[in-house]
Amino acid sequence: MTRKIRVLIAKVGLDGHDVGARVVARSLSDAGMEVIYTGLRQRPEQIVLAAIQESVDLIGISILSGSHMTLIEEIICCLQKHEAGDIPVIAGGIIPYEDIKMLKEIGVVEVFLPETPIQEIIEYVQNIIE
Amino acid sequence: MGDNEQLGNLQNAKTTWEKDCLEPWLKRVPERRREFQTDIGLPLKRVYTPIDLPEVDFDYQKSLGFPGQYPFTRGINPTMYRSEPWIVRAYSGFGDPKLCNERYKRLMDLGVDEITMAVDLPTQVGYDSDHIMAKGEVGKVGVAIDTLRDMEILFEDIPLSSLKRVAMLGNSFGPIALALFIALGEKQGLRPSEFVVDLQNDVLKEYIARGTYIFPIRPAVRVATDVVGYCARNAPHWYPMTFCANHINTAGAGSSKAVAFALANGLCYIEHLMEKGYKIDEIAPLFTVFCDDRADFFVAICNSRATRRVWARIMRERFKAQDPASLGIKICAYSHGGETLLEPTNNIARITLAALAYILGGVQFLSNASYDEVLGTPTVDAAKTSVRIQQILAHELGIADIVDPLGGSYFIENLTTQIENQILRELQKVEEHGGAVAAIENGYYVSQLTDGAMRRKREFDTGERPSVGVTKFRSESKIPTGAFRIEPTVEARQVERLNKVRKERNTNAVKDALEYLREVAKSGQNLVPPALEAVRAYSTIGEMCDVLRDEFGEYQGKEYFSKKGSEK
Repeated sequence: MTRKIRVLIAKVGLDGHDVGARVVARSLSDAGMEVIYTGLRQRPEQIVLAAIQESVDLIGISILSGSHMTLIEEIICCLQKHEAGDIPVIAGGIIPYEDIKMLKEIGVVEVFLPETPIQEIIEYVQNIIE
Repeated sequence: MGDNEQLGNLQNAKTTWEKDCLEPWLKRVPERRREFQTDIGLPLKRVYTPIDLPEVDFDYQKSLGFPGQYPFTRGINPTMYRSEPWIVRAYSGFGDPKLCNERYKRLMDLGVDEITMAVDLPTQVGYDSDHIMAKGEVGKVGVAIDTLRDMEILFEDIPLSSLKRVAMLGNSFGPIALALFIALGEKQGLRPSEFVVDLQNDVLKEYIARGTYIFPIRPAVRVATDVVGYCARNAPHWYPMTFCANHINTAGAGSSKAVAFALANGLCYIEHLMEKGYKIDEIAPLFTVFCDDRADFFVAICNSRATRRVWARIMRERFKAQDPASLGIKICAYSHGGETLLEPTNNIARITLAALAYILGGVQFLSNASYDEVLGTPTVDAAKTSVRIQQILAHELGIADIVDPLGGSYFIENLTTQIENQILRELQKVEEHGGAVAAIENGYYVSQLTDGAMRRKREFDTGERPSVGVTKFRSESKIPTGAFRIEPTVEARQVERLNKVRKERNTNAVKDALEYLREVAKSGQNLVPPALEAVRAYSTIGEMCDVLRDEFGEYQGKEYFSKKGSEK
C-alpha cells in the first residue's frame, strides 16, 4: 500500500485572503493526499515546525500581500536551519511574474499564478513527490 | 377582460409560439446549453413575459412602489442620479504617507468624490511599522499609518472637507480609525460637521473572508459597534459601518448567500446596539451595505434591488423602524470579478460592465477595481482609467437620466424576487445555526465559502464559465510584467518617521491616555472618546491595540481544513 502524499498548505504573514489556499487544500485532498492547512497568520518558523512535525512531503505557501520575497526567504532559511531543506516548497498567489525567477533561485521549486488549472497543481505535486 | 383571462390568452399564444416557431427553430439551431443558470444557481428562462410575474407575486405597489419610498426597490430617493450621480470612490493606498499623498493629489485632480484609504496589513491588524510581524509588509497592500502624524502627512493640502466622503478600510480598530479622522479634522481646522467619514468597520466578515481580525469575536463586536453608537449621538451624518457581502462573495459564497451572511452580521451588530439601549431609528440609518455579484450582469443589477427590499422589510417587520432613513439602505459596490492576469486590458471591459450593472441597480457609492489589480497595486494610469470609466458612465450616454430604467422588465422583476427569496432562505439558515457569531464559530460560513469556491474553480478550469483570452480564444500565454512596486526604502523611512514621533511627543500625555483607554476597555463604556485622546497625544496604533489586546485577548485563528473531506 503506497503511503499517501502529505502536504502542508500555509498562509504566511498578515495576508488574510485564503480562498485560494483552501481550494488547493481541498483539491489535493480530493485527489487522495493528506493535507494540513495551517490557517492564517503563520510565522515562517511556525510553518517549518508544523511541516517537520507532520512529516510532510511538500509545503505550499499562499501569499497575496506582496511580501513574498521576504517571508518565503525566511521559510527557506528556517527549513535549512532545521535540516529540513529537502522538503520542496511551492508558492502561489499574487506574485509578479518577474519574481518567479528570484524565488526559484532561493529554492522555491515552482510558483503557480492565478488562473492555473487546479489539475496542473495536483499533477505537479504527484510528480515531484515520486 | 379580467387579468386571469388575459394571462390565459397569453399562455395560449405562448404555447402556439413554442409549437409553431420555437420547436422547428430548435431542431435547426439548438441552444448552447440544455439549461442556463446563474452563478447562484437560479435557472434562466429563454424569454420572460407577463406570465412570469404572478409566480413571484408581482404587484407594482407591494413589490416596487416608487423610488424613495418603502420598499425602496426602485431607488433610495425619488430622483437618484438625475440630481447627482453616485459617489465616485477611489480605493487607494500604498507606501508611506508622503508617497501616498502624491497619489491622492492625482486622484483629486481626476475629480474623485471620495478617497477610501487602503492601509497596509500591519496597520489593519494593529501593529506598528517596526513590529516583528510587520517585517516585509509595511506599505505593501496599503499606506502605512502608525500615528496621527501619518494622517497629517497623507492629507497634506487635501482638506477633508474638499471630498464628499473620506474613508478608511480598517475593520478591527474602528474607534481608533474614527479618532484618527476626527483628530485630523481638528489639525485641519475642521469640525466633524464639515466633513463626512466612512468606515467599513465590519469586523465579523474578517473572521471568514478577509482575515484582518485582532480581538476575539465578542469583544470585537463591541469595538465595532461603539463607533456606531458614538456617531449616532455625535456625528449622525457619518457612515460608521458598512456590512459587507462583497468579500464573502469573493471568498466563494455567491452573491445572494453573501448578502444573507452580511445581513446576519449586520443584524448581530444592530442587536448588540439595541441591547445597549439604542433605538432602531437612531442606528439603522448609519449602516450601509456592500454588495456585488462578480459573475452575472443581470444578477448584479437585481441583487442591489433585492437587497434594498429585503432590508426595508426586515427593518419594518422585525424592528418596527419608522424613519425612512432606517428603511432605505444605501448600497456601496466595487466593480470587479472575473479579471484575468492574461491580457489585463480586457479587464477594462469587465470593470465597465460591472460598474454599469451597479449603476442600473441604483447604488450610492461605487469604486472600480483597476485593470492591473491582478498584478498588484494599481498603477496611476490604471487608477485613472477606473475613475474615467465611472465619469463616462455618469455623464455620457444618458445612463444616469432615468430612475431604475430596467424596472418593470418581466425578467428583472422575476429575477429580483427570486434573488430576494434566495437571500431570505439563506438568512434563515444562518439564523437556524444561531446567528452570525455561531455561524463563524461552528464553521458553517467557511464551509459554505469553500464549497462555492471549489465550484467556481471547477467552472473556470473546465471552461463551463468561459474566461476570454484565458480558457476561450486564448491567443497568447505571455504573462504580463511590470507590476507596480513599492520602493524598498518605504519600510525604513516609515520606521524612522515613527521613531521621530515617539521622541517628540509628550510621553506623559500618551501614558495617561492609554490608561484611560484601558479603563474604558474594562468598564464597557464607549471606546471612541479615549481613543480620541490617545490619538491626539500621538499614541501609536500598536500601543492602542496592545492595550485592547491586554484587555480582550487575541483571536486564535482556526485551522478549518485538516483531514480529507472534513472541515472543522
